Amino acid sequence: MAQEAPGAGGKRPLEGRGRSLRVLRALLGAAAGVPALALAAMVAVLLVEAMPAIRYNGLGLFTSGLWSIGSLYSQPVRTGGVLHLVGAHYGALWLIVGTVESSALALLIGFPVAYGAAVIIAERLPRPLAASLGLCLEVLAGIPSVVIGLWGVLVLGPFLAHDIYPELAKLPDVPVLDFFRGGVGSGEGLLTAGLVLALMIIPIIAATSRDLLRQVPRAPKEGAAALGMTRRETFKAVQSRWIRSGVAGAAVLGLGRALGETIAVALVSGSQIQNPSNIYDTMTTIAATVVQQLDSALTDPSHLAVRSLAEVALVLLLITLAVNSLARLLVRRSARDVALPVGAGL
Amino acid sequence: MVSTVIAEEQEVGGCRLLLDQIRPAIHAHLDDPVIETFGLTIGFGNEPVLSGVDLPVARHQITAIVGPSGSGKTTFLRSLNRMNDKLRGFRRSGRVELEGQDIYGAGVDPLVVRKRVGMVFQRPNPFPMSIRDNVLAGVKVHKMVPRAALADVAETRLAEVGLWPAVAGRLSDSPYRLSGGQQQLLCLARALAVAPDVLLLDEPTSSLDPVSTEAVEALLLRLAAKVSMVIVTHNLAQARRIADQVAFFCEGRLIEAGPTEAVFESPKRRETGKYLQGQFG
Ligand SMILES: Nc1ncnc2c1ncn2[C@@H]1O[C@H](COP(=O)(O)OP(=O)(O)O)[C@@H](O)[C@H]1O
Ligand SMILES: [Mg+2]
Repeated sequence: MAQEAPGAGGKRPLEGRGRSLRVLRALLGAAAGVPALALAAMVAVLLVEAMPAIRYNGLGLFTSGLWSIGSLYSQPVRTGGVLHLVGAHYGALWLIVGTVESSALALLIGFPVAYGAAVIIAERLPRPLAASLGLCLEVLAGIPSVVIGLWGVLVLGPFLAHDIYPELAKLPDVPVLDFFRGGVGSGEGLLTAGLVLALMIIPIIAATSRDLLRQVPRAPKEGAAALGMTRRETFKAVQSRWIRSGVAGAAVLGLGRALGETIAVALVSGSQIQNPSNIYDTMTTIAATVVQQLDSALTDPSHLAVRSLAEVALVLLLITLAVNSLARLLVRRSARDVALPVGAGL
Repeated sequence: MVSTVIAEEQEVGGCRLLLDQIRPAIHAHLDDPVIETFGLTIGFGNEPVLSGVDLPVARHQITAIVGPSGSGKTTFLRSLNRMNDKLRGFRRSGRVELEGQDIYGAGVDPLVVRKRVGMVFQRPNPFPMSIRDNVLAGVKVHKMVPRAALADVAETRLAEVGLWPAVAGRLSDSPYRLSGGQQQLLCLARALAVAPDVLLLDEPTSSLDPVSTEAVEALLLRLAAKVSMVIVTHNLAQARRIADQVAFFCEGRLIEAGPTEAVFESPKRRETGKYLQGQFG
């Protein structure tokens, strides 16, 4: 075919690719809707499944710490239209407290470590060393949580209980440090769970922060150097601000993982539905409870046990969503403060 | 003879050293230069970039550095405040004296040099912080004024570059929403805020529109009374408008330097004339 000469168009139709673009847009719109639909469906299913439990447990779910399936040796009875075992009582207070405490601990311990590691890897270490450490992060991120959990309960827990916790428990007798004093237990408990969770979220936060640091453009860094700033001052003025909202996002991602982590916590928390008396004491979380109680819950002929597990799962989902929205709000605010020119080719 | 010259021109285009490049550079003697380089030779790895540059920088004047791309203008400029130090393979011999002191001498802190010899870059590079904090960044780091005086400093510096009326009401806003020209003025204010003796500018208007360019040029002319300036520019008309001294670089060598008038009107070296004419058409 001969090439068309420019200007040879004359009076040809101008509509072109409009229709195929419309189809593409519709497809993309549908694809974009999938996550939202999936979320809505999940909430709806959990809600329907949990409804009898919501009615039976009421606000007691949040105010009571007693979790009891009731007597399996008597016939189920009906209260307010809901079938339940005699003595059934579902209070999730300590599950919620345990979930929040262990995740907060994980973030408190894991975030500084992860951020520090990212800064050192991206800013200080020579390339080859940085690359191999980065590889370590990726490997660490890829370890299945059951493996970390097993290691936690077989190796880390006993080590901590034997060599570290006793020292920590000797902290001065000041009221604020009460939580660190007292018996250290066997190494299964809140602090061990927090440490294991920290280990699991460090790779996500560190790798993300490192990638963000690498993307900070050179120009403002040179501007800082040209003012006579040291490397540390330059970092404070440029890099740390440039990556701030991204790092906050990574932290929330990590927190989300910690909140929902199941098997590792089930293995190292001691699995006691109770308010831990100190930071070494046994406890449990929502996710760990769901997986550990499911078997026995299925034996409940009134089905209320399973429905109550669905209810706490719903609570966990809502906590995670709340954390995410809060973080999104914070990130948007800090991004608005500096309004980073994303991809503005600085 | 004539035919040889033409052949060379065809072969090499705008500016290429003629065969007699061994001739020493032509430059005017300056009585009291603020900066002076002596045999400044720079390379990256095995690649020579600058060879034997001797150039005095006039105090409280504007010195323009012109020359084709790749002739080493940026490298020269950045060597005046040790911004090249950390670049891969950077090698240097020769001296750069600031007020008679070798800035590459033993025991010299490059950070102190950079505080006294500021720099403005080709593209505006504000920090990711508010407009106010941008101006004050250097002042705060060097603890130059008490806290209570910071607001005043910000206003003075922004007014100095003519940005105050435009940003007075939004000092806490992001600098990235300013226009390119305003961002460059902000970077100038930031550099001036640490009260440098010398300001280095690397094609500061090359990314700006004509109106902003004019604003920056007017500002530089006003500043010359207080600060000595070295400006790299591709814009020969700009060099002519604002510079007191012009230095012409080609292929890593200083070819000719002197008062602007003299260099433009009666260049002493053929390469200079060719380059200046080529650009004017
Ligand atoms: N960091 C560097 N590493 C290697 N070569 C460089 C570096 N910076 C500049 N050069 C080389 O030095 C020469 C001069 O560059 P430059 O000073 O940027 O020229 P100009 O500013 O006049 O265009 C160019 O050939 C360039 O490739
Ligand atoms: Mg350049």
